[in-house]
Amino acid sequence: MAPSNQFGKRVKLTQIRRPFVIGSTALPFSDSNPRPPGTPDNHTHSWQVFVRGMEDTDITYWLRRVQFKLHESIPNYVRMVEGEPGKPFVVNETGWGEFDITVKLYYINDSGEKPQTLYHYLRLHPYGRTEEEKQAMVAANGEVRAWSYEEQLFNEPYEAFYQILTTGAVPKGWKPAAGGKGGKGKGKNRAPPPLPAPDSGDVWERTAMIPSANRPGQPFSRETEAAEVKKLSDAQLKTDQMAKQLLAELKKKEEQLAKLKAENAAAVKPS
Amino acid sequence: MASSDVRDVLNLPDGAAGGPRPSKKQKISAPRPNLKGLAREVHNLGGDNPIAIVPEVTQFKKRRFASRKPAARWELRPFQNSGREDASLILRHWRRAEEGKQPSSTAGGGEGQAGENDVSGSKGEEEIEDSSYAKYNVQVSVPQYNDDQYRQVLENPDWTKEETDYLMELVRDFDIRWPLIWDRYEWSPPATNGEADADGDESKAIVPATRTRSMEDLKARYYEVASRMMAVQKPVQYMTQPEFALHELMAHFNPQQEKLRKDFALNSFGRSREEAREEESLLLEIKRILARSDKFNEERRELYNRLDYPHAEQDINTFKSSTGLQTLLQNLMTADKSKKRKSIMGGEAPTPTGQPTPQQAAPESARRDSAAASTGPRDSAPAAAPAPGNKKAQQQQQQAQQQQQAQQAQQQQSQPQERKKLTEQEEIIYGVTHHERLGSGPTFRTEKINKLFSHKSNQQQLRITNTLNELDVPAKLAMPTAATTHAFEQLLASVNSLLDARKVTDKIDAEIKLELAKKAEREKAAGIHEETEKVEDAGGNAKDDAAAADEPSKEEDNKGATEGADPADEEKEEDDGEDATPSDEAAAQPSVEQDDDDNDDAADKGTDDQLESAAPKRSASVLSDKSDKAAKRQKK
Repeated sequence: MAPSNQFGKRVKLTQIRRPFVIGSTALPFSDSNPRPPGTPDNHTHSWQVFVRGMEDTDITYWLRRVQFKLHESIPNYVRMVEGEPGKPFVVNETGWGEFDITVKLYYINDSGEKPQTLYHYLRLHPYGRTEEEKQAMVAANGEVRAWSYEEQLFNEPYEAFYQILTTGAVPKGWKPAAGGKGGKGKGKNRAPPPLPAPDSGDVWERTAMIPSANRPGQPFSRETEAAEVKKLSDAQLKTDQMAKQLLAELKKKEEQLAKLKAENAAAVKPS
Repeated sequence: MASSDVRDVLNLPDGAAGGPRPSKKQKISAPRPNLKGLAREVHNLGGDNPIAIVPEVTQFKKRRFASRKPAARWELRPFQNSGREDASLILRHWRRAEEGKQPSSTAGGGEGQAGENDVSGSKGEEEIEDSSYAKYNVQVSVPQYNDDQYRQVLENPDWTKEETDYLMELVRDFDIRWPLIWDRYEWSPPATNGEADADGDESKAIVPATRTRSMEDLKARYYEVASRMMAVQKPVQYMTQPEFALHELMAHFNPQQEKLRKDFALNSFGRSREEAREEESLLLEIKRILARSDKFNEERRELYNRLDYPHAEQDINTFKSSTGLQTLLQNLMTADKSKKRKSIMGGEAPTPTGQPTPQQAAPESARRDSAAASTGPRDSAPAAAPAPGNKKAQQQQQQAQQQQQAQQAQQQQSQPQERKKLTEQEEIIYGVTHHERLGSGPTFRTEKINKLFSHKSNQQQLRITNTLNELDVPAKLAMPTAATTHAFEQLLASVNSLLDARKVTDKIDAEIKLELAKKAEREKAAGIHEETEKVEDAGGNAKDDAAAADEPSKEEDNKGATEGADPADEEKEEDDGEDATPSDEAAAQPSVEQDDDDNDDAADKGTDDQLESAAPKRSASVLSDKSDKAAKRQKK
């Protein structure tokens, strides 16, 4: 437990979420994806595992570094990736087998939170219950994508961290000071633009926003969410119906049983 | 130090170095006259090379006769002192003679020319300079008054006008030096018969007792007179600030206090060392005692506060009965809850507590509303606003609200560290949500679903996943957001209830089978019996009784083979161990079924008809009972 005075109090009964994508992309060696020199012969794929923000937004303002624990047979199998502002946390490797990767997230020092662990199963081959699902995992260029959406929930963050998480929303690629790059005089301290409508579908830096529609390479959006919710509610409806039916049947059967029992009992007693 | 000196100190023989020594000394002595200011040792440090320190050549006594001015002339000059009362006294003193003026009366120093001097003195009286010390003869201004004024304002039973005059005179004479005045004060009141002679005491008929007046008395009288005369000359309201201050000071002179002060000073001067020390220690003691008593008082007050109970404002008779107490308890509990809630809300939306805003002063219900609405944006105005129609109050409320908002804005500016209240839009954009209960620390959205699974047994997990597969829903969410997680939870809940229902159905199916088997058995037995009865029908009714008696025993035997219990017992068994019975039944069933296979169909048809007529004792309550039990088992 970190000393509370350093970070202030926790903001009670408040939760802040940050969506991010954790996943892996694998590509078998081929002519277009040549085997890098020095790769063992039995390796069949080049792959990468990553942790990144929605639409490649920066997440280093809350995530300090990520530890990827790969399979122990891989040399130097514990990979610590320090955050670079604006860049995702990525480990590139080659290999032949699938395994569980332990991903440990270290939050920024201001958060005062302990690191948390996630697991991601590296997929080199498409996997699914149906062919469609399998097909969905394979991208146009033959990449096998095992990406999953995840939401980091900060429950009752410390005041300082709360401050960090709830300020500084800017559009993607927006530069706070134009003077830093080229022109010196103009627009030195541009005020950030007003916040967009929550359902605008844009994804801004330092927010918990989710795009409204899918795009190639960005499968996670409000659209997907709505579809999933619909699917789930449909399934629930179906389940409820089944249960209802079952219960009705059950009732009948109970009655039948009761009758039978009564009959038997009556027969047993001397009439 | 030269080597020769070292040798000298160590008593070494001159030896080989003895020869050149004198010659060296000769050399050294050559530059010596130039460097007179240096000590010999310092000079020797340089060895052969002359030291490069050049002493400053000081030239004293050079300007001795530089200014050759003629000697100043002095002359004896007469002067008079205007400060003196005897103006005729003329003294002389030496003065620098002025350049331009030739001393005219320089010769007039002799006594013989006194006559002339007188004549010229009258002429030169104007010329005779005044002493430069005359200006220091300052007369104090003593209040002046005439008889009328005295009678009007200065009457005092203790003082006569004469004595007052005398006092004033002394004051003037001694320039308000009170010790002197007091010392010289010798007032002998004049004889009252009015025949006072300069030389005779005898002529006085009545001599008032002379009073010894203390310095304070004298001062008091003088200040009284002075202040009153000041007021007479210039009314108080026209006085300038310093004048008024002086007047006040003099008018409020307190002789008693002065006397006490002096006595105290005198006493404290007269103390011995021991007394002083004792006094100091006593003072310390007093301080300690005072401090202790303060503390004691504080403690006592606190104790009293504790002992004191809050006095009820209303009649407490309603709470004296046990039911009254119950209601009171409930009231307190609800009040407590609402308070807690409010405090939590308050924590989320800190309102400036420094100034009681009208919103706070608003009726309790309105306040609660606003507190409840404060989770949203700061638009709690409609909730807190008074009833429509009361326009004035509404306006006030609005104003207050604006003020409050301004205040909050100010606070935000002054304390940027202070957590600001996010708008609804901001909350959505930043993904901020509020929950009833939260454990602190970072978590992942999927954890919740994982927990839903991991809390179940392996078998149940398998069943759930099978069911989900049936429904074509993957066990892992593609996008675990709040909405999908919620939907998934609901789905899982209904899946669970479905599974429960299935389980119960399975059990009942088994039971039905069992009962059917029993029935078939019985019917078989009855069928045999009927045949025998038919045969023996002719045999007469007498045997009927025996057959009837025989039937139950047979049935009982059958039962003993299958379950060995009455229907009632059987039910009990079901209740007790649900896992045990199915297996028993399963074990028992095959044997029965094998026997009754051929009879089954017929029996079914028969029973169906019979069931209709059989008393439907078991109502829906039994069913619900069962499902309840199933639910309980699930929980276990």
